[in-house]
Amino acid sequence: MTKYIIKRLIGMIPTLFIIVTLSFFIVRIAPGGPFDGERALPEAVKRNIEAKYHMDEPLIVQYGRYMFDVIRGDLGPSYKYKDYDVNTLIGVSLPNSVVLGSMAMAVALLFGISLGVLAAVRQNTLLDYIPMSLAALGLSIPLFVFAPFLQQVFCMTLGWFPTTGWFMNDAPVRTAVLPVIALSFAYYADIARLTRSSMVETLRSDYIRTARAKGMKNSTIIFKHAMKGAMLPVVSYLGPAFAGILTGSIVVEQVFLVPGLGKFFVQSSFNRDYTLIVGVVIVYSVILIVMNFIVDIVYAYLDPRISYK
Amino acid sequence: MAIFRKKEIATNEFDQVIVGTSLTKEAWKRLKKNKLAVVGGVIVIIYALVALCADLLPLYPYDQAVTSHRNLRPSLTKTAGELMMEQEMKNLFFQAWRGGRLELSDEEDAQIETWIQQSKTNNVWDLVYARGMQAIEEGTFEWNSSEQRRIDNLLEDIETETLITINSVSAPVDGEMVSIEDMDYDTILSLYAQLIGADIELVSQSMYNEVSAAVTNELRANDSSLTGEDLTAAVEMEMDAMGETAFQNRAVQNIIGYIEQIAQRSASSDINSLITSGQAQLPYRGTFDLSNGLHVELEVSRVHERRYICGTDYLGRDLLSRIIYGSQISIAIGLVGTITSIFIGILVGALAGYLGGKVDYYLMRFVDIMYGLPYMLLVIICMAIFGRNIINLFFALALVSWLTIARMVRGQIMSLKNQEYVEAARSMGGSTMHIIFRHMIPNSLSIIIVYSTIRIPAFIMQESFLSFLGLGVQAPYASWGSLIGDAVSSMALYPYKLIIPSIIMVIFLFSMNFLGDGLRDAFDPQSKNQL
Repeated sequence: MTKYIIKRLIGMIPTLFIIVTLSFFIVRIAPGGPFDGERALPEAVKRNIEAKYHMDEPLIVQYGRYMFDVIRGDLGPSYKYKDYDVNTLIGVSLPNSVVLGSMAMAVALLFGISLGVLAAVRQNTLLDYIPMSLAALGLSIPLFVFAPFLQQVFCMTLGWFPTTGWFMNDAPVRTAVLPVIALSFAYYADIARLTRSSMVETLRSDYIRTARAKGMKNSTIIFKHAMKGAMLPVVSYLGPAFAGILTGSIVVEQVFLVPGLGKFFVQSSFNRDYTLIVGVVIVYSVILIVMNFIVDIVYAYLDPRISYK
Repeated sequence: MAIFRKKEIATNEFDQVIVGTSLTKEAWKRLKKNKLAVVGGVIVIIYALVALCADLLPLYPYDQAVTSHRNLRPSLTKTAGELMMEQEMKNLFFQAWRGGRLELSDEEDAQIETWIQQSKTNNVWDLVYARGMQAIEEGTFEWNSSEQRRIDNLLEDIETETLITINSVSAPVDGEMVSIEDMDYDTILSLYAQLIGADIELVSQSMYNEVSAAVTNELRANDSSLTGEDLTAAVEMEMDAMGETAFQNRAVQNIIGYIEQIAQRSASSDINSLITSGQAQLPYRGTFDLSNGLHVELEVSRVHERRYICGTDYLGRDLLSRIIYGSQISIAIGLVGTITSIFIGILVGALAGYLGGKVDYYLMRFVDIMYGLPYMLLVIICMAIFGRNIINLFFALALVSWLTIARMVRGQIMSLKNQEYVEAARSMGGSTMHIIFRHMIPNSLSIIIVYSTIRIPAFIMQESFLSFLGLGVQAPYASWGSLIGDAVSSMALYPYKLIIPSIIMVIFLFSMNFLGDGLRDAFDPQSKNQL
C-alpha cells in the first residue's frame, strides 16, 4: 500500500509540470499582453514596465525563472492588480471557493447516496420515483439556468434569502444555502443515479442472497454488506465530480456574488494577467490532482480485488 | 408476398420460415417499447426540424434591432405598438402617482413603497396601470397637456413609422439593369461616384484609405507590439501582398454597404410620399425606381405592427427568432463537437487497442495525464485569449473531449482483437488499417453511437456554459447559453428573457438525455441505468 501511494505521489509531478508548462505558453503565445489598455502607452514607458516584470527576456528564460519561483511557492506579482501578488489574491479568495465546493460536495454525497440507496431498496415505489425524477431534472438543467432560477424564486419572489453576501464575510449563514444547493444539484443527480444502479445490481448478487439465507437483519445486509461494494462506482465518479465542482463554482460565484476564485479566473483571462491566470490554474490543478489521488486511495481501500504492486 | 402466404400455412413445422434477427433489430424493438425515449426522440426531431428550417419560417431577422422596441414583454395578442403605448402609460401613471395626481388607497400606497424598496418594479407598474385605467374610465383622472402631447406623439409614431428593408439594389449599366452585387470594381466605383457626385479618382483614393485603415486595425489587434514606423511598414507590406483582386473585393463590399444606405435613405422619402398620397398600401413589397436612378427591391412594413410572441431583448431584437437561430448554433455545436471528438477518440483508441505494447502504453499515459487537467479551465483560457469565435469554440471543446471515447474504443477493440474473424482477416493479409476500420470499428459502432448520443447534451451544456460567461458565441449570433447569460443581469425586471430560453433549452436537454438513456438500454441492456 505504501509503495502504491508513493508511486501515485510521484506520478502527480509530471501532470503538474505539464499543466504549468501548457498554461504558461498558451497565455504567452497568444496576441495581446497585460499592458495593452485602451490607451497605448508611450514606447519607453512600456519597455520599462516590461523590463520590470522581466518580459523583455526571451520566453525560455522567463519560463525558467517562473518555474524556479513556482517551486519555491511564489506565484509572482499580479500584472493587473498593482501592489498585490498572486499569492495574496489567491489566499484571500480561495477559502471561500473551497468552503463552497466542499459544502456542495458534502450535500450532494449525503442526499445522493441516501436517496439512491432508498430508491434501490424500495424499487418501483414512490420512494424510488421521486428521487429519480429529481435526478433526471438535475441531469438536464444546466447550473447557469438553475442558479438564476433559485435566485429569482427564493430571493426575489419569496424574499427568504438575501440576494447577495457571503457568510464568511460577516453575512448571515443562510446566504450559503442557495449557492450550495445550486452547486450540488447536478452532482446529487449523478450520485443518486449511480448509487441506485450499482445498489440494485449488488442486491441481486449471490453473497447478498447468502446473507439473507443466513437470516441476517435487512439493515445489516444493506449497510454492512451491500453498501461497501455498491459504493465503488460512486467513489470513482468523485474524481471527475471535483473537477466539475471547480468549474461549476465559477457560475455560482458569479450569480450569487460569492467572492471566490472563479471570478478572478475569468477576469484574469480577459485581462491577460499572465501570472494570475497560471497561478489560478495551478491552484485548481493541485486541488483536482490531490482529490483524484485521495479518490484512488479510497477506491483501493474499498475494493479488496485491487492489488498494489 | 404470395410466396410468404403459402409458407405461413405450411403443414409441417420444419417448413417454417426462420426469420433471423440482428442486434440492431432487437435494439430497435426494445427502444420502441420505451415510451419516454420515443417521446424524447420525437421532441429532438422537432427541434432539429425547426432549427433547420429557421430560414423558411416567417421570423423577423434575428439581428435586426428596432430601437423603439427594447425590452417589450411577450404577448400573443398585442402588437409592439400597443405594448409601447402600455409601457409609456405605465411610466406616466407612475409619475402621476408620485406627483400625487393619481390617488390610491393608503394600503396600496404602502404596498407600492415596499415594492419599490424590494425593487419589484413590475408589480408597481402593473398596479398603477390598472388603477390608472380604472380612474380614467371613472373620470377621476385626466392627462395633463404635456402628458397628452407625449401620448399623442407616440400614437402618431406608432401609426406612421415604417421599416424599410432593402433586399437588392440594381442600377442601369449600358442600358441594362445590373444588381450591384454582380458589378465589377470599376463599374460600382463609377456608380458610387456618380451617386454622391464626386470625382472617381477621389472616391478610389478614399476606398484605398478605408481598406488600409481596416488592415491597420487588424494588424494591431493581432500584434499589439507594432507601433509607429513598424506599423506603417507592416501595413504597406500587407496591402502589397493583398493583391489587386483581394483589395477590390474588400472595397466592393464597402461600396455595396454605402449604396444600400443611400438607397435606404432616398427610398424612405420617396415611399413616404407615396403612402401619404395613398398610392401604396402597407405592408408593401415590391420593386421601386428611385429618383437617383437606382432600382431597388424592398419591403416596407409598419414596424409597430409586429408581434413578439417571446418579447424582445435589450436592443429590440425579436427573442423568438433569436432563440430559434440560437438553437441552430447550439445544436450544431453539439453535433459537430461530438462528431469531431468521436473521430479523434476512435483513431487514438483503435490504434492503442489494436497495436498494444509501447504505443498503447504511451497513448494511454497521455490520456491519463490529460484526464488530470482541469480542462474546462484550459478551454476558458483559450477562448479568452485566442478570440471568441465559433471555430475556436469547436476546436477548444473537441480537443479535450475525446478522452473517454478513446478509452472506450480501446476497450472494445481489445476485446474484439482475438475474435476469429479478425484472425481470419489477418491471415488473409489484411493491413492493420483495413482490419481496424473495416472489421473492428463497424462491430463496435453501435456502442460508440449510443455513447455519442449521451455526449451531445454535455457538449451543448459546455458551449452554453462558455457563452454564459461571455466566452462563447458572440453577437450578433446567439446561442441558448448567451441568451440566458444576457438575461441574468436583468431578470428581476424582465424575467421572461430568462425563463423562455431556459425552458426551451431544458426541454431539449431532457429529451436528449431520455433518448440517450433509451438507446443505451436498448443496445446494451446489461448496463441499465449506469452513468
